[in-house]
Amino acid sequence: MKRTVAKLEVRLDSWLREFGPKGRESVAADSVEQLLDELEGRYPKLRFKLRDETGQLRKYVRVFVDGKDVSGTSGVSTGLEGARSVDILHSIAGG
Amino acid sequence: MARKEPVRILVGTRKGTYVVTGDARRRRWKVGPVAHEGNEVYHVVADPRHPGDLYAAVNNPFFGPEVQRSRDGGRKWKEIATPLNPLRKDRAFQMNEASPSTPVPRPLNNLWHIEPGLASEPETLYLGADPHLLFRSTDLGRSWEPIASINEHPARKDWAPGFGGACLHTILVDPRDARRLYIGLSAVGTFRSEDGGASWRPRNRGVETPFLPEKFPETGQCVHHVALDAEDPDTFYRQDHGGIYVSRDRMDSWTRIGKALGGDFGFGVASPPSAPGRAYFVPLNDRARVIGGGHFQVLEWNDRRRKWRRLVRPGAFPGDFGVQREGIATDALDPPGIYVGTTTGQLFASPDAGRSWSLVPFQFPAIHSVSAASPASP
Repeated sequence: MKRTVAKLEVRLDSWLREFGPKGRESVAADSVEQLLDELEGRYPKLRFKLRDETGQLRKYVRVFVDGKDVSGTSGVSTGLEGARSVDILHSIAGG
Repeated sequence: MARKEPVRILVGTRKGTYVVTGDARRRRWKVGPVAHEGNEVYHVVADPRHPGDLYAAVNNPFFGPEVQRSRDGGRKWKEIATPLNPLRKDRAFQMNEASPSTPVPRPLNNLWHIEPGLASEPETLYLGADPHLLFRSTDLGRSWEPIASINEHPARKDWAPGFGGACLHTILVDPRDARRLYIGLSAVGTFRSEDGGASWRPRNRGVETPFLPEKFPETGQCVHHVALDAEDPDTFYRQDHGGIYVSRDRMDSWTRIGKALGGDFGFGVASPPSAPGRAYFVPLNDRARVIGGGHFQVLEWNDRRRKWRRLVRPGAFPGDFGVQREGIATDALDPPGIYVGTTTGQLFASPDAGRSWSLVPFQFPAIHSVSAASPASP
């Protein structure tokens, strides 16, 4: 039986909206990696902005799944089963 | 370049790109347009083959590197193709420090230098990047070809980074022969290719490595920057971690010329097309990495007379100034203008080969690179 993947609501911060969706985006994905693949397919300018060419999140990109930061833990392999929202932000750094 | 033509100085900074336009006398300066807000811009260069075209090596601290181009002298910019690390798929290339036997992939890091090709190759560009990567475009940056002879060089595993990273920061093309190329990498040294980049030979003979047990190895030199003599393209002026050197034989051998200065550490060097045989350096205190003596200074090397000359009256500009590898530039006018950007955001300008100096009246962010262009240059 074909499994149905629930749709999530994705939001990008104001800097990233230059490359991606301007508002909330509905995406169906099993994992952060799949979600980013889907987003990059829809918005090619996002390619290599969030992840480098090794597939890992860039150092100062943060991904929150239902409000929890997964960037420094499971990263792109984080599963999204049961999740409802993903926020993608650049971290507060620099000077 | 015509004598009275206005000069544009392209300034890459820690916070963006600034275009600075001078009047015909190179005494008054207008700052703007400004672009790439918030980005580290390691190099900005004009393409003399296509008037108005500028290229910038933009390194976004959050979202990675981008090659950007302007076709209108810096008012509007657009990201063009940015290469990926070509070794990502076919071979691991960075050893895991915690487990040295385990290779790990490494992405393209910062972009360091963009070099337009010769007029005979009007669509060729070269790009140097970290980690020790060289690319060539033959379609003005619509696509990039990795230069495998460097990017997959068998000795790469022994190549160490400098403090600024594993940067390939110097790319020079022999103006008589587009197939003869020279590159500089930190902390690896200089290489020459006679076949358009198909193969390379290290060219560091005579350059000392005071930071290694072996004093004159074939590679391992921390070259900081190299300038080519426009009239005699067999001659090169080199600012190395280990001092200031000249080569008069296409880098086959190097002679240290800076020892007489009592301190010849530094980063930048430039040689003006209108005054062959001259090169400008800004030696720094090798511990503080600022100009010694507590004031701004530029030194001229005259390779014909084999003599050094100080160009700035001591004390004229008191302060402790640092200058990075792309921080010195000359224009193509006669007498040459000399431009020096500092790590504290001052842009010094001389319109007369160093006889007089002034500060461009604008406080820039920390300056990474300075280059000169003219709106109407061919």
